[in-house]
Amino acid sequence: MAANRDEPSKYVTLVSNDGFEFVLLREATVVSPTIKAMLRDDRQWREATTGRFLEKVAEYFQYWYKNRDKLDVPDMDIPVEICLELLVAADYLGLDMCSSRTA
Amino acid sequence: MSRQNRQGRSSIRGPQSALTDFLASHNISANQIRLDADARRRAAQNNPGQVDPNQQDDGSSALPAAPTDTPDEIPAGPAQAGPSRTRRSAAETNTHDDKRKKEQQKVIDKIKASKKFQKRKRNADDSEDEDDLARAIFQQRSAPLPGQIENCANCGTRFTVTPYSRSAPDGGGLLCTPCGKKLNQDDDLPKKKKKPVPAGGPIGRRRQLQSNILDGTYQPGSKSLTTLCIETLAKNIDLAGDLGDLPWPVVDKIARKLSKHRLLNTATLDLFLQPIAEEVYIYDGAKLSADDYIRVFQTVPNLKKLKIRNAIHFKDEVMDYLISRHIDLEEFYLHGANLLASSKWHEFLNAKGQSLRSLRVYWTDKHFGNDILASLPTTCPSLNRLKVSHNQEVSGDGVKELAKLKHLRHLSLDLREHVHSDIYVSVLSEIGHALETFALSRVPDLDNTVLDAIHNKCRSLEKLRITDSELMTDEGFVRLFNGWENKGLLFLDLQKCRQLESSKPRENPDNIGLCSNGFRALMAHSGKSLRHLNIHACRHISAEAFEEVFGFEQGKIYPELQKMEISFCEEVTDFIVGCIFRSCPNLRELNVFGCMKVRDVRVPRGRILVGVPNAVGMMIEGEDDDD
Repeated sequence: MAANRDEPSKYVTLVSNDGFEFVLLREATVVSPTIKAMLRDDRQWREATTGRFLEKVAEYFQYWYKNRDKLDVPDMDIPVEICLELLVAADYLGLDMCSSRTA
Repeated sequence: MSRQNRQGRSSIRGPQSALTDFLASHNISANQIRLDADARRRAAQNNPGQVDPNQQDDGSSALPAAPTDTPDEIPAGPAQAGPSRTRRSAAETNTHDDKRKKEQQKVIDKIKASKKFQKRKRNADDSEDEDDLARAIFQQRSAPLPGQIENCANCGTRFTVTPYSRSAPDGGGLLCTPCGKKLNQDDDLPKKKKKPVPAGGPIGRRRQLQSNILDGTYQPGSKSLTTLCIETLAKNIDLAGDLGDLPWPVVDKIARKLSKHRLLNTATLDLFLQPIAEEVYIYDGAKLSADDYIRVFQTVPNLKKLKIRNAIHFKDEVMDYLISRHIDLEEFYLHGANLLASSKWHEFLNAKGQSLRSLRVYWTDKHFGNDILASLPTTCPSLNRLKVSHNQEVSGDGVKELAKLKHLRHLSLDLREHVHSDIYVSVLSEIGHALETFALSRVPDLDNTVLDAIHNKCRSLEKLRITDSELMTDEGFVRLFNGWENKGLLFLDLQKCRQLESSKPRENPDNIGLCSNGFRALMAHSGKSLRHLNIHACRHISAEAFEEVFGFEQGKIYPELQKMEISFCEEVTDFIVGCIFRSCPNLRELNVFGCMKVRDVRVPRGRILVGVPNAVGMMIEGEDDDD
């Protein structure tokens, strides 16, 4: 995926390898150390994540951002059929520990 | 009408209640009472203020018709007038109509004034007209009584009203049984489609939250995506054929999650056996058979680290197979393998002991004893971690032999047999200088000599645990920590080192256990480096000692401390808890079970306080930011 490099922007665009683009709040994406590093180092990465998974990842970013300070958070719904692939993506993005305090 | 009544009396015979039986034995007929009441009501309906002559024929209504002042006995609308009305002349009907309207108005006024009406008006404040509401209540009350004949509002057939008769959906009259059933069926259909309410609700969720806190898995904010995925996967594990090439930590997490739900069985075990792997961690082997364990060794030829909990079927034949293979384990963790004979342990250690660096054996009763510990120095020369936990066989003779394990770095013992302090002292004097972990659980007879030996010998200790000692004194702990040439500890567990004297529980003349001075000395020595401190039930530590140690104003800061357990330290107050949170900036969890002086603490954001004795529960999660 590629991160747009207009630094002052509040938003980040994630592009999947099949051309889907997701515009997200920058603050919401920093939950992923991987993306955080991409943004900081001003590098561009492209990764084999298709729009279907990236959509879920983007949904998770928003879900995390919305709930980052709440105590009792309902679980996000994960479709069973993309569970394993999403797990790989989550691992790549470093979303394995709850990093509500990293932001 | 009287004939109807009499017919009813002879033909309706249902099961009788105890009251009916009782009344019958006193020559009172319940049925008669009911019929009388019915007749009175009907008379009131048909002919307010005038007694029906038929009733007197019946000989049952000694009382005159009840006046229509109670809302229960109200004149009915035209539909309920009943057949007797037709017999009357038109003129009579007109006067009756006027009268009835007046009566009706009276009752409606009364309904409007009633409490019930006021309440309902408050509830249904959506612009409903007052008159309409009162009329609705009126209609409801004046519905035909059970036992009466009525025309069905839907199909028009005549039928007997029962308590189960349904009212028509539009509110106009009652329905006969077939029509009512039809309506019931129609109603049921959308009900079934309704989504089931998720279990729990607010109370269930709160319970789950508390459970997570006690498990130590609680996190404020949302769960990580990996956790969410793993939970979904664990719920649908039977659909997974292969985990693919997921990285090891993720696979391990899945294994833990599955074991927690007790889902690890013959079928799901295959997901975790990757031929190229070097480690297999089975967190719950209760459902696995001996063949499954053999399969582990067949599929994973490069196995180096093996951990099996609840390894009930790890039997002799499994050990035989392991010995026969070219597998040289470096780490071996076995929990609950009671079917493994002592001779097999010897065989295994003789054959495979050379490569073994870590041996941890939990929950065995008979077959892991002194002779095995005695053989360790020769069979496992490079052993550097040994843990024997919940063991009923090992005694002092076995522990004595551990002094010969020159490479030992980590030693944890939780034995049931009595071992004298002198034996520990001799072991420490031999291998104490290199030990990084020294953990002795449940040692009531351990005394100050062991503390002195630790002070004199140990130089690289990071983790120390001595629990349940009833002989060690405050002075002993002071001697241990004052001027100890060991660097600061990372983990310290001194729980339940306290005086146990039930006749004089408050007095502690000999300062047995960890008391104020020992606590000051330990925090002075290791406070800066400690990550985990457990002084559970060290109840003679005074409030002054706590306030002094955690004196934020005096610049006492403990940056490393993450988890602290001070339950049953009786002197802990709200103020001390506040001090602890201020002086330990990275403290995540503080346990204060049984600290009855803790009442109402403001917990900083993101910290967890467990065990507050109040009705809210066992935890307060901070609402306000401390800084």
